[in-house]
Amino acid sequence: MPHLAALLRVARRLTLNPTFAEDLVQETMLLAWRGFRGFQTGTNARAWLFRILFNAFHGEGRKQAPEVESSTFVNARQQEAVEISEALAALPIEQRTVLLLCVVEGFTCREVAGILDLPTGTVMSRLSRARQELRSSLAPLAKEAYR
Amino acid sequence: MTDEELDQRVRAAVLAEQIDAAPLERSISQRIGRRVLPRWALPVAAGIAIFIASGLAYRAVFSPQTPAICLAAAEDHRREIVNGDPRRWLTDLAAIESLAEKQGVPRSAIAALGTTGYRLERARLCFLKKQIFLHLVYTRDGEEFSVYLRPRGSQSPFDGTVREASIGPEDLAYFQTDRLAAVVVSHRGALPFAVKQRLVLQ
Repeated sequence: MPHLAALLRVARRLTLNPTFAEDLVQETMLLAWRGFRGFQTGTNARAWLFRILFNAFHGEGRKQAPEVESSTFVNARQQEAVEISEALAALPIEQRTVLLLCVVEGFTCREVAGILDLPTGTVMSRLSRARQELRSSLAPLAKEAYR
Repeated sequence: MTDEELDQRVRAAVLAEQIDAAPLERSISQRIGRRVLPRWALPVAAGIAIFIASGLAYRAVFSPQTPAICLAAAEDHRREIVNGDPRRWLTDLAAIESLAEKQGVPRSAIAALGTTGYRLERARLCFLKKQIFLHLVYTRDGEEFSVYLRPRGSQSPFDGTVREASIGPEDLAYFQTDRLAAVVVSHRGALPFAVKQRLVLQ
């Protein structure tokens, strides 16, 4: 199934819970399967799937774990990756969503605006704030790195 | 830290996470598979399978198998008539009738088909499963069919009923009369009823 890993990756960062994430992606794929007639050939299938994922996520009342499970990112090899993961998880969900889609998944701000049904300006400002917050969270780590 | 550096580190950290989507993919496939088939699909499919199996079993038990001679006749017709492989043919009617008589095939059998509108074009002897047959080729308006005749033997696989079969593109009819065993082969659809009737009456 195309884009499943990407959907799962974003869903895990979104819900901060692997089980919820799998449920969310499963629901996304089933919704996509049922609503495949609604997909317009030639348009961006990946963006379409992410749109379904976010609709499902918001439709489920943002099932989100109260805190990050310690086992969630145990596979991250480097300490930096762990720190960044924690900083990401601490971001407000709106900012985290935009950051994941733009920076990790490589969507343009315009595409993200389409996925999240937001004005492009809102996406850009959320991305900017997300970077700012992340930068301040990671500042001690950066200092250590340059020491 | 510039935006590019920050983005790069975030991307690297997130993509470093191992994602095993295979179990999820299996689970989704199962759920989709279950949803695709309506409830009635399985019983209906089972019913169709039983029906087909019964039909095949009935055919295997009660329907006679096409005799090997018929298969050989169809193959011979394809080679000699459809593909036009070079063979020595007799085209003179007197010579054909003489050859037929030597093989125990009465002249009347050859003449009978002349009344159906078809014309005897050529003839030769051929072997079908180690048995000698007189191979007659009749034509009408460019349409050709083969008649394979030999005197009725004691171990003939045919009976008095006209049986029909399709072997690839060839349509066959085979039967025996009091005196003859006959296989008629056409590659242009079903054989005209008049032809079979005339032969059976011999």
